Amino acid sequence: MDKTININLGGILFQIDEEAFRKLRDYLQSINNRFGNSQGGNETIEDIELRIAEIFQSQKGLAGVITIENVAAMISIIGKPEDFDHGEPETAAPEYQSQKKRMYRNPDDSIISGVCGGIGAYLDNDPVLFRILFIISAMFGVGIFIYIALWIALPVARTDAQKRAMYGESYHTSINQNRQFNSNQLTGSSQYNTGYKSESGIGNAINEIFRAIGRVFYIILRILLIMIGVVLVLTGFLSILCFVMVVVFKFPGVYSIESSGINLINFTDFLNYLVSPSAVPWITFLTSIVLILPMIAIIYWGVKMIFWFSARDGVVSLVAFVVWVMAISALTVIGLNEGVSFAHSAKTSAEIVLPATPDTLYIVTDNKIADLKYEKDFVLPHKEYSVYINDDKKELYIRSYLAVDRADNKSTTIEARKYASGRTETEALKRTEGLLFNYGIKGDTLHLDEYFTSPAGRKWSADNVGINLYIPTGTVLKFENNPRILLHSSFRNESNEYLESSWESGNSLWVMTNSGLEQVPEKSSKFK
Amino acid sequence: MDLENNKAQMRKGILEYCILSVLSRNSCYASDIIKELKEAEVIVVEGTLYPLLTRQKNAGLLSYRWEESLQGPPRKYYELTEEGRKYLAELDKSWQELVESVNLIRTR
Repeated sequence: MDKTININLGGILFQIDEEAFRKLRDYLQSINNRFGNSQGGNETIEDIELRIAEIFQSQKGLAGVITIENVAAMISIIGKPEDFDHGEPETAAPEYQSQKKRMYRNPDDSIISGVCGGIGAYLDNDPVLFRILFIISAMFGVGIFIYIALWIALPVARTDAQKRAMYGESYHTSINQNRQFNSNQLTGSSQYNTGYKSESGIGNAINEIFRAIGRVFYIILRILLIMIGVVLVLTGFLSILCFVMVVVFKFPGVYSIESSGINLINFTDFLNYLVSPSAVPWITFLTSIVLILPMIAIIYWGVKMIFWFSARDGVVSLVAFVVWVMAISALTVIGLNEGVSFAHSAKTSAEIVLPATPDTLYIVTDNKIADLKYEKDFVLPHKEYSVYINDDKKELYIRSYLAVDRADNKSTTIEARKYASGRTETEALKRTEGLLFNYGIKGDTLHLDEYFTSPAGRKWSADNVGINLYIPTGTVLKFENNPRILLHSSFRNESNEYLESSWESGNSLWVMTNSGLEQVPEKSSKFK
Repeated sequence: MDLENNKAQMRKGILEYCILSVLSRNSCYASDIIKELKEAEVIVVEGTLYPLLTRQKNAGLLSYRWEESLQGPPRKYYELTEEGRKYLAELDKSWQELVESVNLIRTR
């Protein structure tokens, strides 16, 4: 009995003679059979393995070979599984089959994930065969999927008992070789023993090649991950920077007032007029959480990818995620609640039919946007809808419109419309009445304001006010004092379709034709 | 009737109660628990204890922490959770009742 075997029990290396090893193996196998299939069984097995290691160490210290006497003494202390009898209902029928093999992933003989190593151990064959098979089948595409499926499906053989179940009969020959590896070395570098009985010289060489390929594969993967990580970290930081710039410092770089698109800079200020004041701090706070949490998460993932560490971040991530979901839910609830105040819309209109239809209708704006005193403005896309905020007076000024369409009859009609929304139709209707807008007709001149006023302290309620002007064909519109009013009209395009269109009218002449409103060229004297 | 079997059955019934009782005094390493139970002749072999500890831990009655050992592998130190204390209090009560019932029958 001069042959000794190195084993690892509870993280400690022991030398054990072959006879003692067999006895120990059978004992561990019997414990594995007893607990392996029961709930929490693996933990019990690990506890017992730790205890065995402790007993061996108290008997031998760190040096010295474990003998069969040591194993027998240990078994008498811990007891045989049949002596454990602790009154629990049997969770599994006792298995008398001494070597029940199971397929695992083998962390001690792995290149990518240990799938081939595990198959090799299970089928008692050299893993190199399966590696070659997988590479060939991967060329046809199928192998990759089978490999990934096995990667997911097969558990890693972590405990000694699982490793015994993985190797089965050949455990005692492979244990010596594999026990000495550090199974955590993902790079696959490991000293290699020639003790593996089924491994031929050629197989060994090919395995070495695979190990090298695995290393290269791993390094490429790491570089890719680091690059992705750097991108993620940069993205996260830039997003936070943008967020802070826009929201806190109102940095107007990208979103200039002139650019089309929603003017975001003043969004937070406009919020005061968009929702009820009590909701504003909440919305700001919750929105910040909703936006910043993912950015932090992105940075963290990036850092994790770059430095490839594993941290116990499960609880923190879960808490962060829950907070995020809660913030989104709260925001949704607030949003819905606020949205209800826009649920109903109402319109009031007043109509004036001109007694005589003038050939030329003059349009003059009295109160001009250019003269407005306001701190901030908020422009919806394409300037069709602009809101000017006066924080001192708590007033909102909104650009009014002028819509010109062809009258069906010969008379000229001026219809002033006011739109607003509210929780109920009555509320909406009441709101339309509060909107201040001056207009009037004096002879053949239509006077109107370039904007209407939403009274002090009132929140915005999708208000819109303007004049719908119906003029017969041939009527000329003359804008007198260069008004910056929004002019809507429908006109007929080349394919004979009516289209809605909007212009900012300048100091110009327009004429109503059968196909809609048309601008008269500046130089034409015909209508002047 | 098998006397040994009958004795074993009796011990089995109170084993979990004994483990919780030992742990109620202070947190223990598995070997400490084993020592006490062996002295009291409640268990014969150590292996009996491990599955029970795992089961009680999974039931939320116990928790453990790892402590490095000067020699040998790190050790699990078990202690009672709040739930474990409540559970033990219930068992204390029912043990008291059991003793009283048995005494009542024996002394009649």
